[in-house]
Amino acid sequence: MKTIGFLINPIAGMGGRVGLKGTDGVADQAKRLGAEPLSEARAAEMLAELQTMLNKDDRPQSFRWVTCSGPMGARALWNAGFENVDIVFHPNVPPSEVDTRAATRAFMDAGADLVVFCGGDGTARDVCCETGTATPMLGIPAGVKMYSGVFGMTPLRTSSLVIGFLRGELDLIEAEILDVDEDRYREGAWVVRLYHKAKTPFEPTMTQAAKAMFDAQADAAVKEEIAQQLGEEMNLHSDRLYILGPGGTVQFVADKLGIEKTLLGIDVVCGGVLVARDVNEQDLLRLLDAQEDANLILSPIGVQGFVLGRGNLQISPDVVKKIGHKNIWVIATPAKLARTAELRFDTGDAMLDAHLAAKGFWPVAIGYHKRRMVKVSG
Amino acid sequence: MSEKTVFEKSIPGRIGVALPEPDVPPTRVPCDLLRADNGLPELSQSDVSRHYLRLSQRNYGIDNGFYPLGSCTMKYNPRICETVATYPSFLRSHPLLALADVQGNLELMFGLQECLREIGGFDAVSLQPSAGAHGELSGLLMMRAYHDDRNEGTRTQILVPDSAHGTNPASVAMAGLSLTEIPTDRGGNIDLQALGAACGSDVAGLMLTNPNTLGLFEQQVEEVIRLVHDCGAVVYGDGANMNALTGIMRPGDLGIDIMHYNLHKTFASPHGGGGPGSGPIGASADLAPYLPGPLVSDAVGDDPASRYELSTPKRSIGRVSTFFGNFGMMVRAYAYILHHGPEGLRANAEHAVLNANYLRVQLQKAFQVPFDRTCMHEFVCEGDAKQAGVRAIDVCKRLLDFGFHPPTNYFPLIVREALMIEPTETESLQTLDAFIAAMLQIAQEAETAPELLSSAPHLTPVRRLDEVKAARKQNFGDLGR
Repeated sequence: MKTIGFLINPIAGMGGRVGLKGTDGVADQAKRLGAEPLSEARAAEMLAELQTMLNKDDRPQSFRWVTCSGPMGARALWNAGFENVDIVFHPNVPPSEVDTRAATRAFMDAGADLVVFCGGDGTARDVCCETGTATPMLGIPAGVKMYSGVFGMTPLRTSSLVIGFLRGELDLIEAEILDVDEDRYREGAWVVRLYHKAKTPFEPTMTQAAKAMFDAQADAAVKEEIAQQLGEEMNLHSDRLYILGPGGTVQFVADKLGIEKTLLGIDVVCGGVLVARDVNEQDLLRLLDAQEDANLILSPIGVQGFVLGRGNLQISPDVVKKIGHKNIWVIATPAKLARTAELRFDTGDAMLDAHLAAKGFWPVAIGYHKRRMVKVSG
Repeated sequence: MSEKTVFEKSIPGRIGVALPEPDVPPTRVPCDLLRADNGLPELSQSDVSRHYLRLSQRNYGIDNGFYPLGSCTMKYNPRICETVATYPSFLRSHPLLALADVQGNLELMFGLQECLREIGGFDAVSLQPSAGAHGELSGLLMMRAYHDDRNEGTRTQILVPDSAHGTNPASVAMAGLSLTEIPTDRGGNIDLQALGAACGSDVAGLMLTNPNTLGLFEQQVEEVIRLVHDCGAVVYGDGANMNALTGIMRPGDLGIDIMHYNLHKTFASPHGGGGPGSGPIGASADLAPYLPGPLVSDAVGDDPASRYELSTPKRSIGRVSTFFGNFGMMVRAYAYILHHGPEGLRANAEHAVLNANYLRVQLQKAFQVPFDRTCMHEFVCEGDAKQAGVRAIDVCKRLLDFGFHPPTNYFPLIVREALMIEPTETESLQTLDAFIAAMLQIAQEAETAPELLSSAPHLTPVRRLDEVKAARKQNFGDLGR
């Protein structure tokens, strides 16, 4: 029998309605401005649909909920008619991110196979701090910002993912947990950071196997293919610098090549060996002065599509110009691209950005010797 | 009612044939080759006969029902072509006979080459490839040879639209080349901006499926070809959809450099469950020297014993199949072409397009068609009948209860819940109307009784299979143990 952890962040999304660009640390201000809680209603929407689908299911799945007492979980589950509910955590009043993390820990201690949460990127960060990639997580979208790759498209569609997970029909993919620095965001700057990697159930497009092209391939298999090609390139050009950007995709690829790459930093490889870790702009310029022949390996931030300018400011306009835009190799899985309509370049140098976006499309590696032309935001 | 496998039906000691006692001394078999149990089922002749007859009665094919399997062109195979192909003189020709003894066969092959050359608008045609994808691989190898000859072996990228046939990427990998996928624009055409951005000195060629797998004619095809040619690359035509164009338009005239034909689709030789197919390729003057050989040539002499010869183009990529390819398929296709003649072939294409558009317009009453314009020989709609919880797969399963083979589903990948419907030209108005009535009734059921769809099929020997389990928990351990 599967166990699903379930929690609602009762204040998620409140800041957005009153223009606070997030609710982290400003819930009281949001309430004073007249914000109403909305996350429980979003969770109720998902749970009602899930109940309907379970009733129609010709292969009913046995599972139980583990949750928090009151508005952080149990109330919504009971209201939706679920009886298989075990309360394993009692949050403080009012609850905070400390409760989110403690509740997630309690779910994991109770043997949760999946943690379903209702909130936004902030909640995702808190949940992921505990689950890491050990326990998959799935978000019911209810926050102000939802850039992370663990959310269902809508509350209704999230219920389909839960059903698919219970039936064992879905692949678990690695997703990135991102968040905007809310203080900077409120000041007008949009600084997105990659915080963690998580596992989440993913439903690929159902395809007729004999005619399928790329998209049905599992996420990890795609990254392994990319790693294989990159490894061959590195062997062919043993003097060339390979500058590896931040993020889960590049880190996975590096892992496959036996390179101990940092998740959030920029690392440099030459001859298959790591020659510099977590470098800054000056380090990069120095390395490029000594060896001009270089490739830059980057993966866009899921959903937003930023290739340059978010989370990798070390790769400055000067660095990009030295490497040359033809030597930028963008990699992504089809699953990530399915959530990412356009690529974006925001290096801080408008001329350079225009140059990078000039052709309107950019080739993105999506497998072993497979690329897809992806639209670039003008 | 389920039918057990022959292995499950096996009864120890039962035999199908009583062999006589050997009249030669036994031979010692090495002990490491001996097995106590050879794993073969033990059954009587009648057990075997009834088992396979029952299975055959459960089979579904073009000869017992409508089969609108998009992209596959499941059309009637005229019996006259079958009859001709079974003439003993064709059937019993040994491939090692001297050319002087098979001049009739060579005349047929030459005639077919000439017909295909004329239909496609190419300089030369090779009958060597044994299937459509085999033709694709041959064409890509020709591209490589062509670029190598120009000292441009660094051209390794093959551009493939995301509306292309699914075999194209596989052929690219088989040929040792790299793939760049080009997106489709909102009109169902190749996105010209994306194509332009991809074109460069590293591009070997474009694989163009036209009409594409949305069933739509590429409206800017001349511009597409110009962009590719301008960067020094070659245009490969995936001719699998020539059944929509035959007698109407010649791809060679458009500037396509190489193209394969599917004899089993366009010219009605049967789909043999994965083979035998036949995928001849045509080429323009620049690419013809690289065609796989041998080709049949006409020596135009008076001697009937040596009029037709075999010749291999001077820069040929070599043989891609043993002997002459799938000769039986060539006989059927040639019979089909001669039987219909130029006007008949054109009429077939027109009827294929007419039938598809008739279905498209009628089914649009209930099913969303995302690229809504006049289609060619097939079209793609969204199969979820606008009802939450009902998916394309449910519609397909329910169609089985009405006695129809379902359309291709979930392909192409660029249409959600895709149903790809290709009626072909050989179906009557009555058959099309019966299919339309079934589809509209299913759409109605999706609104009023969705459980009828989610639990379908109800009237087939085997109900809905657990496809996830079939895909993820494969266990062939007991088969052929």
